Amino acid sequence: MKQRPPRYSAARLVSRAARKRVWPRVWREAPLRNSYDVVVIGGGVHGLATAYYLAANHGITNVAVLEKSYLGSGGSGRNTAILRSNYLTPEGVIFYDRSLDLYRTMAIDLNMNVMFSRRGHITLAHSDASLRTMHWRAEVNKLQGVDSSVIGPADIKKLAPVLDTSSHPRYPILGALYHPPGGIIRHDAVVWGYARGADTLGVEMHQKTEVVDIKVTGGDGPGGKGPGGRVTGVRTNRGDISAPVVVNCTAGWASLISDMAGVKLPISTRPLQAAVTEPVKVFLPVVVVSGTLHVYVSQTARGELVFGASVDPYNTYNIRGSLEFTEGTAGHLLELMPGISRMRLLRQWAGLCDMTPDYSPVMGFTPVEGFLCDVGWGTYGFKAGPVSGEQMAEAIATQRTPDLIGPFSLSRFERDALVGEKGAAAVGH
Amino acid sequence: MTRLPAQPGEVIDRSRPVDFTWNGQAMSGFAGDTVASALVAGGVRVVSRSMKYRRPRGYISNDYWDPNGLVQVGDEPNVRSAHRLIEPGMAVEAQNVWPSLERDLRAVTGLASRFLTAGFYYKTFMRPAWLWPTYEKVLATFSPGGRIDPDTPHRYHDKRYAHPDVVVAGGGPTGMAAALAAAGAGARVLLVEHCHRLGGHLLWGDEHDRALAAELAAAVETAGVEVLVDSTVAGRYEDNWTGIVQRSHPVAVERLVKARAKVLIVAPGLIERPYVFDGNDKPGVMLSGAVRRFVNMYAVRPGSAAVLFTANPDGDAAAIDLERAGAEVTVVDARRGEGIVRALGGSKGVEGVVLADGRRLDCDLLVTAAGWTAPTSLLNMSGDRPVYDEAAARFFPSVSIGNVLATGGLAGDGTLDELIEHAMATGRLAAARARAVSHRLQAATARAVPVNGEEPEWPVDERPDLARDPHPALFRSTTHGVVDFSEDVSSKDMVGAAAEGYDSVELLKRYTTATMGPSQGKLETVNTVAVLAEARGQTIAEVGTTVWRPPYAPVTMGALGGRLFEPVRVSSIHPWHEANGAVFMLAGQWIRPDHYGDPAGEALNTRQNVGIMDVTPLGKLDLRGPDVPQLLSHLYTNKWMKLAVGSVRYGIMCGEDGVILDDGVTGRIGDQHYMMTTTSSGAATVWEWAENWLQTEHPDWRVHVTPVTSGYTSINVAGPKSRTLVRRLVGDVDLDPEAFRYMQVRTATVAGIRDCFMWRIGFTGELSFELHVPAGHGLTVWEALLEAGEDLGIRPFGVECQRIMRLEKGHFIVGQDTDGLTKLPAVGMPHLLKLDKPDFAGKPELTWALDDTSTPVLVAIQPTDPSVVPDEASQIVRPGTDEIIGRITSSRMSPTLERSVCLGQVLPEVSRPGSELTVVMIDGRRITARVMEHHAHIDPEGERVRG
Amino acid sequence: MLIVPCPNCGPRNAADLRYVGESRPRPDPNSASAKEWRAYLYERANPAGMLRETWYCRSGCRRYFVLERDTVSNEFTNPPTPVAKLGKRP
Repeated sequence: MKQRPPRYSAARLVSRAARKRVWPRVWREAPLRNSYDVVVIGGGVHGLATAYYLAANHGITNVAVLEKSYLGSGGSGRNTAILRSNYLTPEGVIFYDRSLDLYRTMAIDLNMNVMFSRRGHITLAHSDASLRTMHWRAEVNKLQGVDSSVIGPADIKKLAPVLDTSSHPRYPILGALYHPPGGIIRHDAVVWGYARGADTLGVEMHQKTEVVDIKVTGGDGPGGKGPGGRVTGVRTNRGDISAPVVVNCTAGWASLISDMAGVKLPISTRPLQAAVTEPVKVFLPVVVVSGTLHVYVSQTARGELVFGASVDPYNTYNIRGSLEFTEGTAGHLLELMPGISRMRLLRQWAGLCDMTPDYSPVMGFTPVEGFLCDVGWGTYGFKAGPVSGEQMAEAIATQRTPDLIGPFSLSRFERDALVGEKGAAAVGH
Repeated sequence: MTRLPAQPGEVIDRSRPVDFTWNGQAMSGFAGDTVASALVAGGVRVVSRSMKYRRPRGYISNDYWDPNGLVQVGDEPNVRSAHRLIEPGMAVEAQNVWPSLERDLRAVTGLASRFLTAGFYYKTFMRPAWLWPTYEKVLATFSPGGRIDPDTPHRYHDKRYAHPDVVVAGGGPTGMAAALAAAGAGARVLLVEHCHRLGGHLLWGDEHDRALAAELAAAVETAGVEVLVDSTVAGRYEDNWTGIVQRSHPVAVERLVKARAKVLIVAPGLIERPYVFDGNDKPGVMLSGAVRRFVNMYAVRPGSAAVLFTANPDGDAAAIDLERAGAEVTVVDARRGEGIVRALGGSKGVEGVVLADGRRLDCDLLVTAAGWTAPTSLLNMSGDRPVYDEAAARFFPSVSIGNVLATGGLAGDGTLDELIEHAMATGRLAAARARAVSHRLQAATARAVPVNGEEPEWPVDERPDLARDPHPALFRSTTHGVVDFSEDVSSKDMVGAAAEGYDSVELLKRYTTATMGPSQGKLETVNTVAVLAEARGQTIAEVGTTVWRPPYAPVTMGALGGRLFEPVRVSSIHPWHEANGAVFMLAGQWIRPDHYGDPAGEALNTRQNVGIMDVTPLGKLDLRGPDVPQLLSHLYTNKWMKLAVGSVRYGIMCGEDGVILDDGVTGRIGDQHYMMTTTSSGAATVWEWAENWLQTEHPDWRVHVTPVTSGYTSINVAGPKSRTLVRRLVGDVDLDPEAFRYMQVRTATVAGIRDCFMWRIGFTGELSFELHVPAGHGLTVWEALLEAGEDLGIRPFGVECQRIMRLEKGHFIVGQDTDGLTKLPAVGMPHLLKLDKPDFAGKPELTWALDDTSTPVLVAIQPTDPSVVPDEASQIVRPGTDEIIGRITSSRMSPTLERSVCLGQVLPEVSRPGSELTVVMIDGRRITARVMEHHAHIDPEGERVRG
Repeated sequence: MLIVPCPNCGPRNAADLRYVGESRPRPDPNSASAKEWRAYLYERANPAGMLRETWYCRSGCRRYFVLERDTVSNEFTNPPTPVAKLGKRP
């Protein structure tokens, strides 16, 4: 029986400091064993949440999360940390709203302050066509019980006085989809919270552990891999591990991992860039998105503007970032809010996104038994981390696909039953 | 803290005093002073407060990177006061102090610093959950920056493309030498210096240094090197695309200069590293370079009783400078095993220091010269991963990159002569490689005659390695102190975080926020790594370093954004619209009249008399060649092989997935000459789609596609009196209904303008003629129509009227009434799908889609209450539930029928005519509506268009 | 942005071109099974390494052509060939 670590609280913060006691490790290091019930590949929010809910909801604790770098080194630590559930399709809205529910109670559930700032989220419309799409989203949202409505320029100005709502700009602001429950969160804390929670329940996290092959037998493809086969384990840079269940939660690298099992995915890897400015006093109290201008922006509690754009125009695993991104995004931000021209861009970075043709994920079982995917997360994976973990854990524990992720199965492409989410997800942060 | 008598190397102009204010108080300095030098000369010691604990802070590095020197200047936040020059009337204020710099009440957090360790907020403020928004607001008051005024205009910022062969980042001795050598070898060189003048560290050196700086700068000027000062190579991107921010520009606030450097030389020099010990952030604790700049460049003595902790010759030189300036100096020499442990003093700054041997010395200035950080950012951006050298106690580049060359302090040490020799060799190598790159680029362009002969051999790097001077590894004393000054993170915080498991440099950085502030690691990265290494019992090399990301120095949003070059398109009739009360709308790139004040009236008039509309944005492709019918058959889902000359046909295009891509009419104007129209937004897509088929699958088809959207001004003449009107202006075409029938095209002379073409189609549902006039004559024809139609009741109409009329007629709009999943069978036009063609885009999916009974189909809908117009996007639900079974895609009040009319997508099960639907209005009300038999609400038989 | 070696226009900034993606042969529309056709529509090779891909020189010669590029280093190999010169693809 592992000893439970001390809980985080203000009282303990003071008492431990007074007694000069160091806090125990947020997650422990354990030797890598050669067998687990479940191996999760990828130590980001999706992989960690899957492991956490396996243990917390289903009592499956003989689980290893394998991360080739450090926990949260991929998209989980590179996104712009925007949360919302105002999607376009009913299946999308319900799914992301469940995620928002889990985020809402996360600080208490995981005993880690993830600093969810439910500040509201507005998606601007600059043409009557995009205004129509905003109405469409609002109406679908309302019917799923999600708080969304279309507001006009005067209300937009009240929410975000820095926005230029005059009729002069090249892209005038005609209205916006207002989604009060949306907001921002401290993304790293979510990663650490799940890691700590999973650790407490007995899950092992192994950093610097890279999967180099997946062992499959009985499949149709070369080496017994591919459809019809079943997974028996993984090979890592630190040795072989046998496991009847292997879960692919590797986002931008999903195709490479999936190829190891002989499962083909409809995924292209594209970089998504983001940037942050120097801090200034808080002036932007809501998240602002413009699909037309390919930009989304929020101001952190520290006063920095964090912003991003749409994915880069070509496939690559190279994440050095581009000047075109900062130029283009700054130009469009200034179109929306000329008042920020003297703020300085401090740092830009990029992450890798696993884009699917219909801007929706690929989740659940694959033609290789025991090999599950939770990929295709494109630019919207962070929002869905908690619900994805919860649902993937349920799929693994019950051996059936939960209703909530049914629409996102890999087989939908062969059936041509795509999800119509492009309108809300393409630049929808 | 006084202004010294004239110093030999001073850069201030004592004949030009400059007045400015500091927190509202009058201050004075000289032209050439930075804000920092003027403040310190005026006796100011505390310039800011630390972010978390509100500790008073003074200048530490006295350069652009000084983490304590950020101030507000007018409406500009976060100005680097040790870099920005003073200007008359400048209003400088301390940032983020409450209520004042001298007394910041939030300094109480300092008392609780024991509890408020790095990341403490992750462990508290969780319960009660409802209090979190309040905590959030309190935490936000600690945000460290200045302030912006949301109403500040985006003033003039400029961009420039430069075309040098070699870009040199850094205008110190090695940068200048490299630039000279490269220019001497025939290269066009752009030399970029971060500070206000060339010279680098020579500027605060001795007289030999200054003489050399002057000599090099003069040589650079005569060598034809272009020099940008107060400018920074902010980023190096793919294929040596470099972004340079030019902060001083005569006209623009700032300018972004972009260059595809054939070779980039990186020569930024070294950045002095602070030393970590208790009290190292007290005002009056400074780096040796800071002191030398104050004394030698600005004639300011930052203290009178100095203790100098030094480990290198630069530190030793600071002692000489301070003594010359009249300060008492006590040297504590690290090379002799001496050390400092703790700075003493209160809120006004340092008052003394405790040495490693226990001695206590009084001082008002504590100077450290503990070593260097190599700012390898531009090399990182090129793919380099720096490696730590134990003996030299700093990081060095590890990878050789062909078109990015490092020289100067980044590459190694040595005498000035040795460094300059290395730089000259670097410049020559850069010029030679630039020639080779240039040759490759030219040779890669297809030309009739090769331009420049054989490709030269890739010049080999034969530069001798620079020596690496040994340096004591000094990072932290035996006490804990501040590591990241902008983020207020101490070495103790870091040790605690590492013990909690945030023990890789990236995790530590994320958890403590060290290196994430405005100085972006320039001062604190190596100390962060060193403290972590010590905590983990590893070497610095094992811990490694963080990746420096662009930009090298912060760049304003204004400079990055520049001016927005995203033009709008207007038709040749636009001036008339403007002069005649049009209300405009933005449609993609186009600005076009939405209406002229009364869209319903425009519609009624067009149904009764005649109306004209500027439809220029309509996409137009001119198709020529013998194989155009093949192309059309492939793009459209219906048949095109037998379209007669003079005929027009409507078609729908689908993607290979069967989803509707675009629609429009195409007419055959001549034997091998066709004109295709597309939707306004689809023009470019359709063009590329056509080219795709012509170039990949069917390169044997002989077809030329030319986009002519803007080449013709397009005017729709609609209404029962349109023929009468057109007849008055067109003499060379028989307009008799039997001679020029519905869905036919003619070439015509309209109002004396030749080479127009004209077709009879009817998007509005009325008899109509669409005129396509060579663009330069559009306004002439428009005005001629208005004049000739005056007695017929002619009125112009806009997009809104057109939308009303097309909806009355039941014509759908691609992208509005269809969406990203709508396949052709869903729009109910089975006659347009000809599966007996051998091939066309999307054929297999469309074949299978015919059997699909689960996806929504397009139907016309009328609300039961004719006065109710459900908003577009209103959802259709299963009665009594919230289950969505369709939506309204278009809706308007029909002025003709005096009732609301809609198009919508509904599931097949409720698509039969007469089916009753429940529509949820935006206000939540539920209304009933009925599915209609035809898409057309008026004239389903089409008698009007055929009239 | 990287430099794309257009066979007609020479080296151009990638912003001047449109990326089409992995070059895939089109199955026979009259005999392809749904599985084959949808693999053509949606499946994409996504290697960390050499990828054969189509570009369209949108702001230049307006030709489609096929290039091979390493998706890790972003370096192009092989001189590019205009698609038209390859004749009809299999």
